Amino acid sequence: MERIRVESVSYSYQNKYQTVEAVKEVTCSFESGKMYVITGESGSGKSTFLSLLAGLDCPKSGRITVDGEDLGGIDRDAYRREKAAVIYQAFHLFPLLTALENVMYPMEIRGMKRREAEERAKEYLDEVGIGREKMGKYPRMLSGGEQQRTAVARAMASGGRIILADEPTGNLDTENEEKIVGLLMSLAHDKDFTVIMVTHNRQIADRADVRLVMKDGRMTGCPADSGQ
Amino acid sequence: MTLYYSIKQMLRSPLKSILFFLLVGICAFFLALGGAFWYMGSDYMQNFDDKYITIGTVEQKYEGTQTRSRWDPEKEQYEYYNAGYYGEWIDEDVLDFPGADYILKPRQRPYFGAYIENLYDGIGSSDMGTVEATPVETGAMYPSLLMRVVRTIDGTMEEGELFYLCDHEDPEPDVLEAGKTYVMQLQLRTFAHGPAVKEGKEEMEYWLAPGITSSQYTADKEKVYDPVNEEDRYYDEVTEGFYETDRGKRWLKLASFQDLQMRTIPVQPVDGTCLLMHFYNGEAQITEGRDITEEEYAQGAKVCLIPEELAMRLGVNPGDRLNLPLYYADYSRAVGDASILGGRGLYLYQILNAKGEIYDVFNEQEYEIVGIYKAEDRGSGSYSAGKDEVVIPWNALPENCWADNIVGVSHMTGATTSFRIPNGTIEEFQKKWEEQGIDDLEIRFYDMGYTQLREGLENRQLMSAVFLISGCVMAVMILCFFSNLFITGQRERITAERLMGRTRRQCAASILTGMLILSAAGCIAGSAAGWLASENAADNIGDTLEFDRTYSDNAIANTEPAEEAEPPGILLPCATGSILLAVSVIVSAGYMGETLRKEPLKMLGEIEE
Repeated sequence: MERIRVESVSYSYQNKYQTVEAVKEVTCSFESGKMYVITGESGSGKSTFLSLLAGLDCPKSGRITVDGEDLGGIDRDAYRREKAAVIYQAFHLFPLLTALENVMYPMEIRGMKRREAEERAKEYLDEVGIGREKMGKYPRMLSGGEQQRTAVARAMASGGRIILADEPTGNLDTENEEKIVGLLMSLAHDKDFTVIMVTHNRQIADRADVRLVMKDGRMTGCPADSGQ
Repeated sequence: MTLYYSIKQMLRSPLKSILFFLLVGICAFFLALGGAFWYMGSDYMQNFDDKYITIGTVEQKYEGTQTRSRWDPEKEQYEYYNAGYYGEWIDEDVLDFPGADYILKPRQRPYFGAYIENLYDGIGSSDMGTVEATPVETGAMYPSLLMRVVRTIDGTMEEGELFYLCDHEDPEPDVLEAGKTYVMQLQLRTFAHGPAVKEGKEEMEYWLAPGITSSQYTADKEKVYDPVNEEDRYYDEVTEGFYETDRGKRWLKLASFQDLQMRTIPVQPVDGTCLLMHFYNGEAQITEGRDITEEEYAQGAKVCLIPEELAMRLGVNPGDRLNLPLYYADYSRAVGDASILGGRGLYLYQILNAKGEIYDVFNEQEYEIVGIYKAEDRGSGSYSAGKDEVVIPWNALPENCWADNIVGVSHMTGATTSFRIPNGTIEEFQKKWEEQGIDDLEIRFYDMGYTQLREGLENRQLMSAVFLISGCVMAVMILCFFSNLFITGQRERITAERLMGRTRRQCAASILTGMLILSAAGCIAGSAAGWLASENAADNIGDTLEFDRTYSDNAIANTEPAEEAEPPGILLPCATGSILLAVSVIVSAGYMGETLRKEPLKMLGEIEE
């Protein structure tokens, strides 16, 4: 089932020296229950494209629809709060909250009661392999893999069914990389998430349900583009 | 939830949070204390000028010294001595120079004699009197000549009474012949001496008083011509029809002398009570009623201050009215000299004008007694209060209405000429006065220690300003530093929150709540400590001021309840704390706004860089 539709999306921004056309006329779609991987060289526009999908900025032209709703016409903060979670290479956990609290946080900001949020958070952390003994630890006390798994658990707790991951394994060793990719794949396949991951890692790309390539802001191998 | 996590996150960095709390508290303390000091200082400074009065007195200096002679009848030779002499009398108008900023202009004040009919109910005095007398034996008026009273014109001497008469001032004293009758005004002076006095017996002698002569002056300080003065003789032989002559008529006028003497009180017109040195230096203090107000002085209200003893003798109280028929003005002496405190009262000498008449009343009005004062004799001489001295506003009388009733003139003295200038302007006044180049006047200033105390107060104000400014500067620096630490330094947290879909406002609330709670706690604690410290400081300042005023307090200040520096109460620390909190809100909101202005995407980029 199509969850995200991207139609002729272009995006440019001004850096110190010039206007950079990061995304050019991209058209594609993303379905639920699949893991998508976007690869490409550095500066090809893949992270920018992911940020557009996360509603962190608006396309200069074209449109992105999520479950039929135009992202440009809805509250994009609410969109991230309720539908899409973002995972970054740098984890972006709250350094002063424990792993458990980090996972509880998105649920609590949606109004869930603390006790219920705590129970759910523990479940999510269990699912990503963070044991009870580590749930009360601060991010700096966890390994990189544990931090990223906590970030995945937090993404799961966000309540949405879209996970946008930007180089989530970039800082991890092979073992942890494997665990994270496995986690994300199981979320897509077992829990009907739409996982869109940006990576340079060919092996991960090979394991994806759909592999997309960005070059100079243009997308190739897009399902919609290719008529998949 | 926002509050919970915000506080939780603050508490997870306790050192930073405690430091922030303490520093904000210290700032609040400084602000509250500095504010309290400033308030107390300003409050006291505001009252300060009202409590302190700066006056100047003017005294004409001797132009030089000259050798004078005085007949010494015992040694039968002249005694020579040096004495200062005055040049031309300087008018008070010279003090009206450009740049002289007077609150009360300088005036050479006379005192007036007022006849109070119901003042005296005694039988008179034997100290003075006007009599017809004849010598027991013919003889010169030196040494003491025994005389017998033939008839009493004024006084308590009785017919047939013997007395000694002596003239100490004439090298060739006149001879009075036995069997002849002489009229004279007598004044008891010293012990009788010479062969006429029985050995071993101490008796007093009388001198001749100049009662029939006139000392009348014009308003321009010119002596009014009186032919009687030409003769320089203070007695007359009584012959047939003598009392029909001009001199004879004058002697009869002296029949009223003792009546006037006993019933005349000095009345001091002045522009402000503070100009009278005995009030200024605290020798005289109002014990009942109130002082004459500045408005009453300015408007010439018919009000007066009277001394306790006079009030008792007249049976009057504040609110009663006192009729003052004024009949002469005397510029020659200060009241303190003319009517010595502790003495008998006013000493009159010459009650006749140049026409040989008793001075007419030149002004008669009723005055409301607004205050009763008590004057002490602390030995300040001319500057003392006069016995029975009644104080009235200068403007209560038409200007110069006493011009035809002036019995004596003299140069300006500190006791008769004074003015008031604004506090703290002595130096400026002196500088401008010196520019006038008038060396013959000596101006002395009195400010109750204002200049020194003001310096102390200004130092205190400076100290409070330092507290305040350092508190403000510290506050802004600390707030900037911690805002940077708590806000800009938490970009990652902000980014994470934004990525999770929190709005800018929610992010701001999440980040700022904890910081502002800590800030508020610091403000409350610091302000409370500042308040307690300021209360404590106020007590200490009160003690210090009490000490300071022991040498500067005076009657004027004592007429009103002393107002010490009051601490500003709880409102000021509340205000300074609130301002500090408001500043912390503004500063942190500024930092927050700056941070949140960036899109999450850009923040992410910056973090990853």
